[in-house]
Amino acid sequence: MSLEWMLAVAILLPLIAGILVYLIRHYQTRGLIVIVTAVVLIVNSIYFLRWGPDTFTPGSPMWGTIITILDYAMLLFYIYVGLSLKNWLVLLFALTQVIPLAWWEFGAGASTALEKISPAFVIDQLSIVMVMVISIIGSLICVYAIRYMYDHEEHKKLEKSRQPRFFFWLVMFLGAMNGLVLADNLMWLYFFWEVTTLCCFQLIAHDLTKEAINNGARALWMNSIGGTAMVAAMMYLYFTNGNSVDYLTLSNIIEAGRNGSLGATLMLPVALMCFTGMIKAAQMPFQNWLLGAMVAPTPVSALLHSSTMVKAGVYLVIRLAPAFDPVLGVMVAICGAFTFFAASVLAISQTTGKRVLAYSTIANLGLIVACAGINTELSISAAILLIIFHAISKGLLFLCAGTIEHQIWSREIEDMEGLAEKAPLTTFITITGMLSMFLPPFGMLLGKWMALEAVYVVPLAAILFVLASAATMVFWAKWLGRLLQVTPRLGRKIESLSLSYTVPLWSLFAGIFAFGIGVAPLYDKFVRAAVGNVVTVQHAFAEGWNILIPGAATTLSAEKGIEMLGSYPVWPLFIVFAVAIVLPLLLVSLKPQELRPVYLCGEQAGDVDTDEWYGAADQKTKLELGGYYFKGAASEEALNTWVYLIAIALFVIMFGIVVGVSL
Amino acid sequence: MNPVWIVIIAIVVAPFIGGLLAGIDRKVTARLQGRYGPPLLQPFYDFFKLLGKSKIATSRTQYVWIISYLVFMVTCLVFLVLQLDLLLLVFLLGFAGVSFALAGFSTKSPYSHFGANRELLQILSYEPILLLAALGVYAQVGSFNISEIFKQQTPLLTSLWPIFIALLVVLTIKMRKSPFDIATSHHGHQELVKGIMTEISGPYYALVTLTEWYELVLVLGIISLFWANPLWVGILIAFAAFILELFVDNINARMTGGWMVRFCWAIAIVFCVLNILYLYFINMKGVL
Amino acid sequence: MGIIQVSQVKSPWIMHFCNSSCNGCDIEVLACLTPLYDVERFGLVNMGNPKHADVLVVTGPVNYRTARVLKNLYDQIPDPKMVIAVGACAATGGVFHNCYNILGGVDKVLPVDVYVPGCAARPEAIIDGVVLALQKLSKAVGVAK
Ligand code: SF4
Repeated sequence: MSLEWMLAVAILLPLIAGILVYLIRHYQTRGLIVIVTAVVLIVNSIYFLRWGPDTFTPGSPMWGTIITILDYAMLLFYIYVGLSLKNWLVLLFALTQVIPLAWWEFGAGASTALEKISPAFVIDQLSIVMVMVISIIGSLICVYAIRYMYDHEEHKKLEKSRQPRFFFWLVMFLGAMNGLVLADNLMWLYFFWEVTTLCCFQLIAHDLTKEAINNGARALWMNSIGGTAMVAAMMYLYFTNGNSVDYLTLSNIIEAGRNGSLGATLMLPVALMCFTGMIKAAQMPFQNWLLGAMVAPTPVSALLHSSTMVKAGVYLVIRLAPAFDPVLGVMVAICGAFTFFAASVLAISQTTGKRVLAYSTIANLGLIVACAGINTELSISAAILLIIFHAISKGLLFLCAGTIEHQIWSREIEDMEGLAEKAPLTTFITITGMLSMFLPPFGMLLGKWMALEAVYVVPLAAILFVLASAATMVFWAKWLGRLLQVTPRLGRKIESLSLSYTVPLWSLFAGIFAFGIGVAPLYDKFVRAAVGNVVTVQHAFAEGWNILIPGAATTLSAEKGIEMLGSYPVWPLFIVFAVAIVLPLLLVSLKPQELRPVYLCGEQAGDVDTDEWYGAADQKTKLELGGYYFKGAASEEALNTWVYLIAIALFVIMFGIVVGVSL
Repeated sequence: MNPVWIVIIAIVVAPFIGGLLAGIDRKVTARLQGRYGPPLLQPFYDFFKLLGKSKIATSRTQYVWIISYLVFMVTCLVFLVLQLDLLLLVFLLGFAGVSFALAGFSTKSPYSHFGANRELLQILSYEPILLLAALGVYAQVGSFNISEIFKQQTPLLTSLWPIFIALLVVLTIKMRKSPFDIATSHHGHQELVKGIMTEISGPYYALVTLTEWYELVLVLGIISLFWANPLWVGILIAFAAFILELFVDNINARMTGGWMVRFCWAIAIVFCVLNILYLYFINMKGVL
Repeated sequence: MGIIQVSQVKSPWIMHFCNSSCNGCDIEVLACLTPLYDVERFGLVNMGNPKHADVLVVTGPVNYRTARVLKNLYDQIPDPKMVIAVGACAATGGVFHNCYNILGGVDKVLPVDVYVPGCAARPEAIIDGVVLALQKLSKAVGVAK
C-alpha cells in the first residue's frame, strides 16, 4: 500500500464511513459498517508502523482550497451556533478566529502562499504512536457504541432514532484525530483541530437536553479560545518572519527551537500553541468543558478521555517541547503539576462515577503536560508511556462505567454499592481497570514513577506530584470500596452481556496486561524512537523485561556520579500481583457455612444474607452505609475559587514571562 | 551473599523481630502503666492461637485483600533488603495500605467501614511524607536506589533530619499508636469496636498481625537507612525511635482523623518540603 | 500437643457481656484489668467484639430481650470458645429470680463452662474462674489431662 492510500484511509475513510452510516438508517448495516471501518483502521495503523517515518504533500493544490473553504464553513457555523443559542461567548470566540483569519488571508493577501506550505504531513514515530492509540482504542470504543446507543435509545424511548447522526460524528472524529497528529502544515493542523472541536460539540450536545446543549457550547467556546490562540500564533510567525510561510510548519518550528535560529521571537507563538494544547487537554482553569462533557452518552466520554480530543492537546504540547525555552518549560511543568494536584484532590469529593473519572483524566493529563514541560529524556518517556497506558485504562474504565450505567441506570457511586454481587463480571473488569490506574505493576504507575524520578529539576512540581499521588490512591480506593461492599447472597449469577460490549472490554483488559508486562520491549522498540522525535535519546531505559534507569538520566545523579538512578522490576512485580490477588481469587474459596453475619452488636435480624437489624422497639431496620466524601474540605464549593485563582495566576505569570522575554 | 538467600532470610527473620518488638511494646506499656504485663512472647501466643481458630468470614472478597496486604508488605521488605528502588517501595507500601482499607470496605459492616475510611485518611497523611522522604534521599544521594545510600559516607541524618522527624510521625501512624490510632487500635475501644479489624477474625486476623510485624520491621528499616554507614548505628537509632513511640503512645490521647491529616500536612509535610527546597538550592549552588 | 494448642491456653481474649445485671459484677470484671489485678499477665485481653473473643464473660440474669442478643453474640465467636457466668445472677437469676421479664441464668441460653459465684463476684474469684476455664480449655484441646 502506498503512503497516499494509507493517509487517505486514516483520514478520509472515517469520513466516508460516517456519511454512509448517516445515510443508511438500519441498525445491522450500521453495525457492520462501523466494525469494518474499525478493522480497516486498525490494520492501517499497523501499516503506518511498518512504513516508518516519511513526509507527504498532496500533489494537487485543490486540497488546500478545500480546507480553506471548510475552515470558514466551520467558523460560520460556530457564529450561527452562538447566535441561535444566544451564547455570546461562542460568538465572540468564533469572531476572534474568523476576522483575523479572513483579514490575514485576504486582506494581507497571504492566501495563495498559505495554500502552498509543505510538507503537509510528516509521519514520525511520535505520530505513529498517536495513530495507533487513536485507531485501535478509538475503533474499539466505536464498536462498543453500536450496542450501547441502541440500549441508550431503548431506555430513553425515542420515537425517531438519532443514532445515524451520532455515529457520523463519532466515526468522523477518528479521521480528524488521525489528520491532526499527522499534519505538519499549521494551517492543516488548525483545520483538523477545529474539526475535533466541532465533533466534540456535536457529540456532547447529542441528547439535546438543555444541560447537554449548554455543556456542548461551553466546550465549543473554551476550545475556540485555543483556536484563537493558534491563529494568533500563526499570524505572529508569519509577520515576524517577513511575511513568509517558512515557519508555518511544525517541523520548522521545532528545528528553529533546536538550533535557536529564531531566538526569542519563537517563544510567544510556541507558548500560544502550547496554551491551545493545554485548553484542549482540559488543564485548569479550563477543566470545566471536560467535566461538562460527561452528560454525553458514555462512548463519547470514553472517546474524548482516552484516545482523542484531550490526547490531541497533550500531543501538541509534547510535540512542541523541543522548542520550549527553559523558563517556559518550567512554567508549563508547574501549570501541569498544579492541575494534577488540584484535580486529584477535587476527585476525592465527587459522588458521580463519571465525574471521578473525568477528574482523574484531567489529573493525568496534567501529569503528562508537566512531563513535557520538564522536557528531559526521562520525562518525555514517561509522558508518552502515560499517553499509551492512560488511553487503554481510561478507555476501559469509561466503557465499564457505561456498562454499569446500563445495568443499574445510574451514574452515582452510592448506587454502585454491592455491584460485586449483582454484576460480578462487570465489577471484575472495572476493578482491574481501577487497579491498573494506581497499582504498582501496571503501566500507569510506571509512568508516574518515571515522572517522579525526573521531576526533581522543578521542585515545586515535584511537591505537587507527591501530594497528588497520595490523593489519587484515596479516591480510587473509595470507589473500589463502594463496589466491593456487599452482603453475600447465596447463589449469584454471572450476568450476560452483548458481544458488542464484551469484545472491546476484554480487548482493552487484555491490553492492560499485555502492555503492562511487555512495557520494557514496548519502550525499547517503539516508544524510544518516539521520544527521539522530541529529545535526543542517549540512554537505554529498558533492560530485558525490566526498566532500569541509569544515573546519567538526570543532571543531579550524573553530577554525583551515580550508576543507577532507579529500577523497576516489571516481571517480578507481576508475579507479586498474581500471588497477591489472582491466586487467592482462584485457590481460596469459602464454604457457605463459613460465612457469618457482620457484627451489629448482636442485633442482626437473620442470617448472612440479610442486612437488617432490630432497631428501637424491635423494628427491623435496614442497614445503610454511605461513602465518605470529604465534602467539607475537598468539595468543589470549598476549593474552586482557589483553584481558579491559582490556575489563572499561573497562566498570567507564564504569559507575563513569555511576553517579557520576547519583547 | 546470593540474593535469593537474603530474601529468604529476611522473610523468615522479620516476623520474629516484629513479634519480639510487639512483645517489648506490651511489656513496656504495662510497666509504664504500673502493671506487670504479659510474657514477652505473648504476641506469638496470640498469633498461633488465632491461626487455630475456626475460619469465619463476612464476605467473599475480604480475604483476597488481606492476602494482598501481606504479599505487598513482604514485597516492600524484599525491596528494602535487596536495596532496590526506594520510590517504588513507597508506592508498593501505599498500595499495601489501600489493600487493607479495601479489606475493610469489602463487607457491609458499619465499624469496618469506619476503620476503612480512617485508614484512607491515614494514607492521605503518611503517603506524601514517605514520597517526599524518597525525594529527599534523592536530593541528597542523587539516586532512588537504596544500594546507593549504603555507598554514602556521611549519614543521611545530618542533612535530612527534618524529614527524619516527619518519618517518626509516619512510624506512629504505622504502629497505630496514640495519638494516631484511629483506624483500629490495640485496645478495646467502645465507639470503634475494632475499627477496620472488626470483621477480620481467626486466621485472617493472624495474617494481619503478621503483616503488621513485617510493616514494623520495614518502617524501622527505612528509618535505619538514615545512618546506613555503619548500619548498627542506624539500627540503634531505629530502636530508640521505637521506644520513643511507646512513650508517645502512653502520654497521648487519641485524636480525630481530621486532626491527623491537618497535623501531617501542616507540620510534617512542611518539614519535608523545606528540607527538599533547602537541598535543592544547595545542589543548584553546586551547578552555578 | 502442638504450638497452636499451647497458645490457645495462653492467650484467652475475653468479651464481656452484661445482660440485666445491677452493674455490680461488671465493675468487678473491669477491676480485673486494673494494675492491682492485671489479668494481662495471663495474656488476657478485653475485646469489644465477639469475632475476636475466645471467652465470653456474662454478667447478670438473662431477660427476654437480651436472650436473642446473647445467642447471636455467642454464635459469632469462632471456635474454640468458653463461657463464664459471673455472679449469682448469671448463675441462677439471683435476686432477679422469678421477675416477670427474667428467663433465669445464662445456662438457659448458652452452654456455660464455669460459674463464678458471689454477689458481686470478687475480682480474685473472677480470676480463679478464668484460670479454671483455661484448665478446662487445655483439657479440651488436649494440652493437659
Ligand atoms: S450477682 Fe449481685 S452484683 Fe452481680 S449482677 Fe447480680 S445483683 Fe448485681
